[in-house]
Amino acid sequence: MKTRKMIMPLLVLALVATVAVPAPAKNIDLATVPPRESVQLTIYNSEDLTLVRETRSLSLKKGVNRIQYSWANTLIDPTSVEIRPLEKAEQIEVLDTTFPGQKPQHLVWNIDSKVEGQVKFQVTYFTSGISWSADYVLIADKAEETMSLDGYVQVYNNSGEDYENAQVRLVVGVVNLVEKIKDLARRGLVPPISLGIIADKAEVSSLRRRAAGAMIARAEMAAPASAPAEIIKEGLSEYFIYTIDGTQTVPNSWSKRLVSFRARQVEFDILYRLRPHQYGARPVRFFILKNDKEHKLGTTPLPDGIVRTFRDNGRDGLAFLGQQKVTYVPVKADIELNVGTDDEVVEEAKQLAVGRSSFVYDRHQRVNGWDETRKVSEEIRNYKAKAVRMEVRRIIDGDVELDAEDAKLHDYRTVEFTYDVKPRDKFSWEYAYTQHLGKNARQNRITLR
Amino acid sequence: MKVRELARRGTLWLGAVVLLAAGGEALGRIKLTTLPVRQRVEIQLDNPNATLVEEERIVTLLAGTNTIDFSWSNTAIDKGTIQFRIVDMPTRAKKAGDPKMIVRPDGKVELIQVINASYPPGENALVWEVYAERPFAAKVRISYLLANLRRSFNYRAIAEHDESTLVLRNYIRLDNLSGEEFGSSGVWAGFGKYFQREIGLNEAKQMLAWKFTKVPIKKTFTFDWWKGSPVPDQPYQRYVSMRYVLENDSAHNMGLFPLQFGKVRIFQKDTHGGEAFTGEDWGKFTPIDDEMKLYLGLARDIVVKRKILVNRRQPVHGNLYHQDVTLQYTIENFKTDGCVLDIVEDMNSLRNELCGHKGHDAQWEIARDGTTVPERARERKDSKTLILHVPLEKAPEGAAKVEAVVVKVHLWLRNEW
Repeated sequence: MKTRKMIMPLLVLALVATVAVPAPAKNIDLATVPPRESVQLTIYNSEDLTLVRETRSLSLKKGVNRIQYSWANTLIDPTSVEIRPLEKAEQIEVLDTTFPGQKPQHLVWNIDSKVEGQVKFQVTYFTSGISWSADYVLIADKAEETMSLDGYVQVYNNSGEDYENAQVRLVVGVVNLVEKIKDLARRGLVPPISLGIIADKAEVSSLRRRAAGAMIARAEMAAPASAPAEIIKEGLSEYFIYTIDGTQTVPNSWSKRLVSFRARQVEFDILYRLRPHQYGARPVRFFILKNDKEHKLGTTPLPDGIVRTFRDNGRDGLAFLGQQKVTYVPVKADIELNVGTDDEVVEEAKQLAVGRSSFVYDRHQRVNGWDETRKVSEEIRNYKAKAVRMEVRRIIDGDVELDAEDAKLHDYRTVEFTYDVKPRDKFSWEYAYTQHLGKNARQNRITLR
Repeated sequence: MKVRELARRGTLWLGAVVLLAAGGEALGRIKLTTLPVRQRVEIQLDNPNATLVEEERIVTLLAGTNTIDFSWSNTAIDKGTIQFRIVDMPTRAKKAGDPKMIVRPDGKVELIQVINASYPPGENALVWEVYAERPFAAKVRISYLLANLRRSFNYRAIAEHDESTLVLRNYIRLDNLSGEEFGSSGVWAGFGKYFQREIGLNEAKQMLAWKFTKVPIKKTFTFDWWKGSPVPDQPYQRYVSMRYVLENDSAHNMGLFPLQFGKVRIFQKDTHGGEAFTGEDWGKFTPIDDEMKLYLGLARDIVVKRKILVNRRQPVHGNLYHQDVTLQYTIENFKTDGCVLDIVEDMNSLRNELCGHKGHDAQWEIARDGTTVPERARERKDSKTLILHVPLEKAPEGAAKVEAVVVKVHLWLRNEW
């Protein structure tokens, strides 16, 4: 704490005076700085919100104890700061909390104690500036039949405060906040004491060096046989909480990435999809698996995160297939990963003919209703050494009658065809549809003939 | 981070840091750093949107937790894509009382494990903590996506003098503007040959990915009234364009892999043992079994005039009508050899010209009477495109005048209003 205090003002807990009647000193304070004994961070990813819970021991005297607490240059919500004794609670009472008008990021508690001696307290508060995210690395084998899937969590600390040896918990879920913690933290600050301006460049550089040193120092102090931290997962109401085993040091401005899970030899399916309205003119390839035990997953929901997909290229290296953001995947739900187009699978559609018929006329004998019939041919060409399955979806708007084998309706205006194509083979099919137009249109949907 | 500063002369740097001592303050630390050199570099160009670089280094690990520092400057590494993998991971059988180690599906325990990665502020760097059960000289593979290391493709074709076949060379070009020098690196585009090359800083390297020989040339001549270039002062004419069509299939000595988008330069052998440049075009991405059409220039020795001889409206009921249209093409071949001319008509454009713009596709058919093109020479390419394949004889030697070929097409544009 001493070191950090020199760098920039940070969280300081001070026992200012211990007199029976609150009589604050004007300019001269005597302060003791009890160190943090433990700290726990519960980080939410849906909001810029972290619940910090720290324990410190205070030496109390009988009567009213005046405790000063300040947090300059951090992003703490002052309305959330709370203190409570973890011992002798029935003999200790927090009388009031004062936020001095002339000192931003500062409060004073008056604590009435019927006991004398050292008491362990818990201080909790919300801070912004700490966040976490998940990401995943998927490596498919050369034959694209099984994959390894590694999940990671990365914690970012831009809160203005170093958190050393903190227990870290990560919450997966969407919580409601009526006010942003960042706004609450800034409220009441005098403009020149901006949170963004921490110190001059040299000071920042010094801080970085110290932070880096702290990281390395931790490595040095680690027991020689330490192993990767396990991440313990459990449900919490509608949310999920990941608790990282042991403690972590995350200095201010650093981020840290840890392994969340590893799954090996996970089987998956491949499906090609042609949806011009959604993915463009060429078919795209999807890796499809389930977040369940059969796929060596399913212990927890998978939080939102980027999935980077690689394939063993068979030349003792990797091929990068693509990256995609996936949204929260509940247990037993499908995971669908778009890995982009494939040069070896081609789909072509051609409109062969157009004809019009069934004309109706208005009272001036002008055409105001007719049918238009189109004949379409489609072909899938598979140049791969393995069979492929392709799903083709096409939107046909209006009052449509469709004449096609194997067609099924995906929704009222979208027709879907799914075909398997053998290795190095082609498959083609034809269909026709009639659109009832003008006065002939009675509805807006596709009818299968 | 003194060592990192020293390394700024290079752009990519990996250090295994073995901590010997540290003061009570976190500020000072004495460290011994080994600088493992790259043993192997692979540049994977198979993804058109991103280049993956993989490098292997031997890192000496002590028993316990090791700190490995990876930093870079003046290069645009996508930090989120950096992967650290152990090649030939040492394993042993799982024992009772093992700490939390990664157990493989075969029950064996991995003896080297990445504990975490930390990202220092304001620096292009990351620090891995790697646990080793005992000392190892581990081969590690670090891979990442790197910007400004780009691939492109180009082609050079040399046609025989008689334009029967050509040799097509497919080149891959690697432009290294990444800010990093790679030395001897493996380069793989996902098809064709695998290369081992020195890749220097700001260097472009062009490599022959494949050479296709004896590729038959299909030479086409196209008259397209709607897309062709107008001939000055000749309102009834458009220039005839000349193309080479290359079929990307095995029957045409290609078809090994899709041809990527790139510039194609065509040369033709002359009679003196040299070559002449005959044109260039952008070759589109061409899957196997598709054709690459290359527009080389104009064939000004074929002159075509197009006239609309008949444009008559035939009422059906109310405002519904059919449009009776006859097109005439008068063709003169001044070339010294015969060829087939493709006459292309866009029926939607023709209908728009004659009947006004409509919100629907043209419904059309060719009438038997009044059409001089035999049915086998008519191609309905799709619902709006008619192609007439008209054979042209070479001009008879000694003839004072070229005989014009006159072609007529009688069309019905049906059900317009």
